[in-house]
Amino acid sequence: MQDLKKQDASAGKLASGPKPPVEPTTPPPVAPTKRWWHRWIRTPRELREMGVVGINMRNARFLLPNNPRRLYELVDNKLRTKQIAAEHQLAIPETYAVVRSPHETSRIDRLIEGRESFVIKPARGSGGKGVLVIMSREGDDFIKPSGARLSLDEVRHHCSNILAGLFSLGGRRDFALIEHRVQPARALTEISFQGAPDIRVVMFHGYPVMAMLRASTRESDGRSNLHQGAIGVGIDLATGRTIRAVHHGHPIERHPDLKVPVVGVQLPHWDAILDIAVTCHEMTGLGYLGVDLMIDEEAGPLMIEVNARPGLAIQLANGVGLLRRLEPVLARHESHPHDTKAQKIAFSQRSFAAAGVNAKPA
Amino acid sequence: MASRIKLILVVAILSLIGGGIAAYKHVELGLPLRVGDLPEQWLVEAKITFIADGGKVNARLSLPAAAIDEGLGKDAGSVGYNYYVDKDLGEYTAVWTSEKKEKDENQAIYYRVSFPRRQKSGGEPIPNAGGGKPEAVTPGFAGAMEDAAKKVVERAKSVSADPDSLFVGLFGEIAAIETSQEVGLLRARYEDESGRSALTVLGIDLLNMAGVPARVAYGVRLEEARGSQQPIRLVEYYDGATWKVRDPDEPSSTIDPTKMFVWNRGGGSLFEVTGGEASQLVFTVIRDLIPLKDLTDLRDSPLLISTIFGLPASEQAVFRFVVLIPLGAFVVVVMRNLIGIATLGTFMPVLLALALLEMPVDSGLIMFSVIVAAGLWFRFLLSKLNMLVVPRVAACVVIVTLLMMLLSVISYKLGMRSGLQITLFPMIILAWTIERMSLIWEEEGKRSALLQVGGSLVVAVIAYRFMAVRQVKYLAFYFPELLLVLLAFIILLGRYTGYRLSELFRFRDFKEV
Repeated sequence: MQDLKKQDASAGKLASGPKPPVEPTTPPPVAPTKRWWHRWIRTPRELREMGVVGINMRNARFLLPNNPRRLYELVDNKLRTKQIAAEHQLAIPETYAVVRSPHETSRIDRLIEGRESFVIKPARGSGGKGVLVIMSREGDDFIKPSGARLSLDEVRHHCSNILAGLFSLGGRRDFALIEHRVQPARALTEISFQGAPDIRVVMFHGYPVMAMLRASTRESDGRSNLHQGAIGVGIDLATGRTIRAVHHGHPIERHPDLKVPVVGVQLPHWDAILDIAVTCHEMTGLGYLGVDLMIDEEAGPLMIEVNARPGLAIQLANGVGLLRRLEPVLARHESHPHDTKAQKIAFSQRSFAAAGVNAKPA
Repeated sequence: MASRIKLILVVAILSLIGGGIAAYKHVELGLPLRVGDLPEQWLVEAKITFIADGGKVNARLSLPAAAIDEGLGKDAGSVGYNYYVDKDLGEYTAVWTSEKKEKDENQAIYYRVSFPRRQKSGGEPIPNAGGGKPEAVTPGFAGAMEDAAKKVVERAKSVSADPDSLFVGLFGEIAAIETSQEVGLLRARYEDESGRSALTVLGIDLLNMAGVPARVAYGVRLEEARGSQQPIRLVEYYDGATWKVRDPDEPSSTIDPTKMFVWNRGGGSLFEVTGGEASQLVFTVIRDLIPLKDLTDLRDSPLLISTIFGLPASEQAVFRFVVLIPLGAFVVVVMRNLIGIATLGTFMPVLLALALLEMPVDSGLIMFSVIVAAGLWFRFLLSKLNMLVVPRVAACVVIVTLLMMLLSVISYKLGMRSGLQITLFPMIILAWTIERMSLIWEEEGKRSALLQVGGSLVVAVIAYRFMAVRQVKYLAFYFPELLLVLLAFIILLGRYTGYRLSELFRFRDFKEV
C-alpha cells in the first residue's frame, strides 16, 4: 500500500516534470460575437461554451458528491474550524474570548478589558452576518470602522442577539467569538473603501481553482458582498497579481470611490495564502470549498473562515468559467490521486496562470 | 453511474404505479380524466355524533323527501348498526338501531345525499300531508308579552294582503335594526330562551298568532367551506293552500335551489338519539365532480384505489386542500430551481397560496402587503428598544394580531366584506415574514428584502393560480395516485444541473478573458 502510494506520487512528479502534453489545454476562447439578446441574457449554450457553472450544477456535480453532510459542522461552527486550524498550525486571528451564556454577556466588559480593537462574530454565522468590528475605543464608547459610536450596552445587546441565534443558520442557539481585529496590509487598504478586503480561494480536491479579492466601496458600506456593490477582483493564481475587476458585473480598472488602479496590484504572501488554502482542504476533508483569508500587516495571511458552499460570483470577477478549471482538476485528481500539497499548488499555478500575465515578459 | 440507474428505476416505478392506478380507475371504473364531462354534484353529508350510554341505541334522522321521491343518490354509512328507512305520511326517517354499544364510546353515523345542480331546493309548495287544513297553534303569550305581540301582528296584518306578504312584513319588522318598542321587548325575551335562532322562533309564534300555521324547517347551505356547518333554521308556513318554506334571513324571496337544500320540513325534529348523550348533528357540504354512484364504486374498491374516498365527507373536505400542497411545492421547486426566483424560506409561498385559495386574491394580496409593511414599520420601532430575539418575535405576533383586527374593522366599516377574510392568513406566517424580512433588510439591504418578499408573493400567486385550476384540482383529488408521478418528476428536477433562468440574466455580461 505504502509502496503503491510512493509510486503514484513519483509518477505524478514525473508527469508534472518536463512533459507538457499531459497538461489539459484550455480551448481558445470563442470570439464573442455581439448579439442583440446579449443586452438582457446569455443563452444556456453560450454559457456552457464559456464553462460557466450555475447553482444547480455546483450543487449537483461538485457540492453533493464531494462534501459529505457530516463535515459541514466543521466549517459551519467557527469554534470548531479554529480548533482544527490550530491543530494544523494554521495562522488564524487570535481568539480573545468566547461568550457562551447570557451570564457571560453581562460581564463582557471584563472580557474585552484592555483590548483596543476587536471583532465580535457569531460562531455559526455565514456571509459576514452579525460581524461587529470595533476599531478603537474613546472613553466608554466603541468606534466602528464607519466612525459610528456604540455604547457598552449596545455591544452587549449585539452579543445577546448572537447568543439567541439571530445570525446563525436556522436560528440555532449560538456562541459569540471575540477575536483579534485584522489590521489589513497596506497593499489592501489602498484599494478598499473602509472595511478590510478579504481573499476568497475556491478549492477542488485540494487544488486551488480560482481566487478573488473582495473590496468594499462607499455603496457596499464596509461589506464585501458583490451584489451589495463591493468590487470583485480576479487574482492570477500563478503570481497573486490582480488581473481583472468587476463592479456590478461590469469590468473596471479603478476603484469607483478611491480612483486608484485595482488591476495589476501584487498581493503580498501569495504562496503562503495558497498553502493555507490547501491546508484547509486537508483539515476539513471537504472536496469543494471556499477559503476566506485576510492579510494582516504584521501577522501575514490569516484564515478567517471556510465556506462549504462558495458562491459563483468569482467567475465574474475572473472572467473565467469555473468549469474550465474544475474539469482539468477532476482529470488530474483521477490520474494523480496522491499529489502532495506542493504538487497540487504547482499544478494549479502552472495550469491556471492568467494568459495575459504570462504572455507579457516580466 | 449506478446512482443514475437507481434514479431512473425509482422514477420509472413511481410513474408506473401512479399512472397504472389512474389508468385502472379511468378504464375500469369509468372515472373521466377530464373535468367537466359530468355535471357538478353536491354531496351533503349529515353526521350524527354522540357518546353511547352503554345500552340499546336508537338514532333517528329525518330525511329530505326529495332524496327518496326524486331518486337522488344517497347512502348511509355506519358500522355495527341495523339500518332502515321509515315512512310516515310522506315523511321519511332513517333509523339506526344497535343492541349494545360500549359505554362512553364515541359514535358517528353518516347519511349522504348527492345531487346535480338542480332546479328544486326541496322547499317547494306542497299540500298539507293527510289532506285538510292545518290549524294554527296558539303560542302561550301572556301579560305584557301578549299585548306587544298583538300590536306587532295587527300592524303587520294591516299592511299585508295574504300570508306571503304577512310573512315578509313580520320578518322585516322583527329583523330590523331600528325597531319598535314592542319588538324590542319580544326579542329580548326570546333571545334569553333560544339564543341565536331567537328571531326565527319568535317569527313562527307571531305567524301562528296571526292565524297562519307555521313551523320550523331545516336546511343546509350549499357552499363549500372547509369545516362542517350547523343546520340552518328555516320557516315553513301554510298560505291557505300549500306549505311553503322561506329563509327568515331573506324573507322576500323563495328558497334559491343553488344556495340552499331543504333537508327537513313538516315540523318534526331533525334527529333523535336514545341511548346516547351529547348528541350533535352537523352537515358537511362538498362539491363533487362525479356522481355518487361512481363514488360508491370507488369507495368499495381495494384500499389502494379507494384511498381518501373511504373517508367520510367531513374528513374528505380537509383532503381537498391537503392534496393541493404537493402541487404548490412542485411550483416552488420549478420557480426556484428552474427560474431562480428568490423566496423567503422554501415553503412560505405554499402556505401563502393556500391562504389565498380561501379569499379573493387581490384583496388578499393587498391585505398581506399592508400588514407586512405596517408590521415591518413597528418592528423597526421595536428594534430601537434593544430587545432580545424571542420577546421581539412575540411582540411581532401581538402587533400582527392587532393589525388584523384593525384592518378587519376598517374594511367592514368601508363595506368591504372580503377584508374579514384576513384572519385566514396564518398568523405565524405573517409574524415570521415580518421578522425575517426585517433581518434581511438590516443585513443585506432593502433591495434584497423586497426582492425576496416580492419573489415569495409572485411564487405564491403562481402556485395559487395553478392550484385553483379546476382540472388540476380534479386530478389531484380524484386521482391522488398521480401525485406519485409528480414525485417522480420532482425527483428528476432534483437532478437538473442546467442553468436557472435568472442565471442567464446574471451572467449576461460575462466575457471570457
